[in-house]
Amino acid sequence: MPMYKVKPVSPGDIKIDLPTCMYKLPNVHAQRMNCGEHALQNGEVDPALKALEERQDEVLRRLYELKATVDGLAKTVTTPDADLDASTLSRGPAEAVFRGTADLDSLLGKDLGALRDIVINANPGHPPLSLLVLHALLCQRYQVLSSVHVHSSVSVVPPPLLSCLGPRHIDSYVRQRFQLGFTLIWKDVSELQMKFNTQSMCPIEGEANVARFLFRLLSAEPQDPVTVTQMDSWIDTAVFQLAEGGSKEQAVTLRSLNSALGRSPWLLGQEFSLADIVCACCVLRAGLNTSAAANVQRWLESCQNLGHFDCVYPLLQ
Amino acid sequence: MTKENVQGAAEEEQQAQSKKGLKKQQKEAEKAAKKAEKQAKLAAEQQEADEDDFAKDRYGICPMVQSQQKLDRALVRVQDLTPEKAEQQIWVRARIHTSRAKGKQCFLVLRHQQFTVQALLAVGERASKQMVKFAANLTKESIIDVEAVVKKVEQKIESCSQQDVELHVERIFVISQSEARLPLQLEDAVRPEGEGDEEGRATVNQDTRLDNRVIDLRTTTSQAIFRLQSGVCQLFRDTLINKGFVEIQTPKIISAASEGGANVFTVSYFKTSAYLAQSPQLYKQMCICADFDKVFCVGPVFRAEDSNTHRHLTEFVGLDIEMAFNYHYHEVIDSITDTMVQIFKGLRDRFQTEIQTVNKQYPSEPFKFLEPTLRLEYKEAVAMLKAAGVEMGDEEDLSTPNEKLLGRLVKEKYDTDFYVLDKYPLAVRPFYTMPDPNNPKYSNSYDMFMRGEEILSGAQRVHDAQLLTERAMHHNIDLEKIKAYIDSFRYGAPPHAGGGIGLERVTMLYLGLHNVRQTSMFPRDPKRLTP
Repeated sequence: MPMYKVKPVSPGDIKIDLPTCMYKLPNVHAQRMNCGEHALQNGEVDPALKALEERQDEVLRRLYELKATVDGLAKTVTTPDADLDASTLSRGPAEAVFRGTADLDSLLGKDLGALRDIVINANPGHPPLSLLVLHALLCQRYQVLSSVHVHSSVSVVPPPLLSCLGPRHIDSYVRQRFQLGFTLIWKDVSELQMKFNTQSMCPIEGEANVARFLFRLLSAEPQDPVTVTQMDSWIDTAVFQLAEGGSKEQAVTLRSLNSALGRSPWLLGQEFSLADIVCACCVLRAGLNTSAAANVQRWLESCQNLGHFDCVYPLLQ
Repeated sequence: MTKENVQGAAEEEQQAQSKKGLKKQQKEAEKAAKKAEKQAKLAAEQQEADEDDFAKDRYGICPMVQSQQKLDRALVRVQDLTPEKAEQQIWVRARIHTSRAKGKQCFLVLRHQQFTVQALLAVGERASKQMVKFAANLTKESIIDVEAVVKKVEQKIESCSQQDVELHVERIFVISQSEARLPLQLEDAVRPEGEGDEEGRATVNQDTRLDNRVIDLRTTTSQAIFRLQSGVCQLFRDTLINKGFVEIQTPKIISAASEGGANVFTVSYFKTSAYLAQSPQLYKQMCICADFDKVFCVGPVFRAEDSNTHRHLTEFVGLDIEMAFNYHYHEVIDSITDTMVQIFKGLRDRFQTEIQTVNKQYPSEPFKFLEPTLRLEYKEAVAMLKAAGVEMGDEEDLSTPNEKLLGRLVKEKYDTDFYVLDKYPLAVRPFYTMPDPNNPKYSNSYDMFMRGEEILSGAQRVHDAQLLTERAMHHNIDLEKIKAYIDSFRYGAPPHAGGGIGLERVTMLYLGLHNVRQTSMFPRDPKRLTP
């Protein structure tokens, strides 16, 4: 018998007209009818609810797994050496540079009968010296049809720029005999631009980026990711600090060039690479070659001795 | 009693009559009064006019100029009216472009060719009210002689070509009066299409323009177009003469159709009939065989094609080149493309004003080209089209939509509106085209394109009589009709090649216009024979 009892305020059998549009709750004032409802409060679980809980657990578990993976990746990106065991990377012999012709079909897509023509739009005020060096290298590997045009947006171009790709090939009237086309157009553009396959590629802007594209055609990229990264880093340094930087930045870069070249004949070690090409061209264009330190001078002479830079020196006057 | 009634009635009638009469009389009196008033007013005005017109001898309609006298008067052109001439009193002959009266002032805009200048006539010491009224009532397009003082203006007059000066009129005389109703208004004819629709103002459609060509040609746009066309012709001649070419004139009445029988005009020639030349092809080649080496000719070309398109005319001006070469027909292509590039450069450097004037009414992208000209091979073009999704056979001719698509692809990659397509398939070229030595399915022929439309079709010609006969038979051409042509190659003929362009089409495509009739002064097409 409960201790206190309160007299019912209202009788339990009042008929209230409830709306039927939403939920219906059992009448709390009425006598309890269904003992089955107790079961839920007694700890026994409805099987449908059980399945739902299991699903939720599954989803949460997957979520935790994904989070762990992303965290792992984030760590590897932000602290490159932390999780990556550099000793396990294959430091095989650096790929023989510039040996063997690459399969142009695999690099550039199947040949549909049209000459694969690389079109480069450059401003005659800023000739792309590194691309001229790469052109010379390409000519040694493939049959390249080179042509220089002047766009109507430019009225006058100095004669050395018109002959910067060398003399016309004797077979140049038969385009079919060439594997690759290299068309240099002197145009009034603010940024150097390369167009290759307009259907599937957007234009590539910036001398460094075009240089990377052309270098890949030589199939001479180092396979080693560390070396590739170092090469990219030298290229960016050259473009942003040597070519576009103030005198202070240039001095800093020259010092780091000097120290790097004290350790090895070329910037990346024992082999000549794109880093050497781009850095040398930036140094030459900025006119810093005469005042540079001993190692840099020696390195520039070595570049010249290779013969690929012959096309560049006439344009420096 | 009836008598009285009748009498009464008669009296009433009389009264009524007199009432009517009275009314009539009243009305007449009113009319007379009004008339008298009017006459009095006119008389008063006349008197006024006669009284006040002190400027009577400073304006008027001149008698028709029949070379009555030699006046020692220098007429200054509107385009020479610049601030340097400020405060000078000069005579100008021009047309009335617009005239607008505002109270005591009359603003005139005088026009000569592309140049317009504002002129002001105000009532004052020198000009009377009647003179200002006279000026305001002059019809548009009338030719007038004006003596005026050139005055500098502080605020630029945007609507005129001479923006820094204004004329203050002293004397104004009409040399040739125009009828009041013009078949088309010049402002409407110069209005760009879009603007007309937007603001609800009229633009003139092409047929009206062509029917009233004399007035349409007076617009600034037309003047600019035809001056540029004259420039094209002049640059063509100058460049070729500098390269050592000789200008020749070929006959236009010929005995046999040269390019194929279907599209020739027949003329009656005494007792037989003759044809109007479809192209100077045969005669150019005969000149080469006659040792002139490098020839060109400028003359009309007649094509009886019943095509009503935006780029075909039945009569147009053909600029044709033919040249003997040493070892390879590319020498000729280089020569032709260099000529075209010199023409484009000349237009770019010397005709900018005209190009800008045309662009105001017909905006378009400036024309871009490469030097030396881009040359692609037909196989490359087919590959480019296939890569873009077009299905076509390797030896199929390019249809017009494919040509336009190819033009766009080339523009996207090389940013040029002008290029050459070399090595066409042999099957789609005329019988006198030299086949390719390495591949019998192709030929030594080429087409040149401007803005994706073909402007020149050329090739190395067969200069051997026997091969020519074989090719003609292959194309089922009656050898009798071309006997004279084949004979010209029997006595030693140098290897040669050439091509021809249409002056109107080149002008149209250079300016980015859309209909060749805009660049032909008095165009001829299957539906138009006059003016």
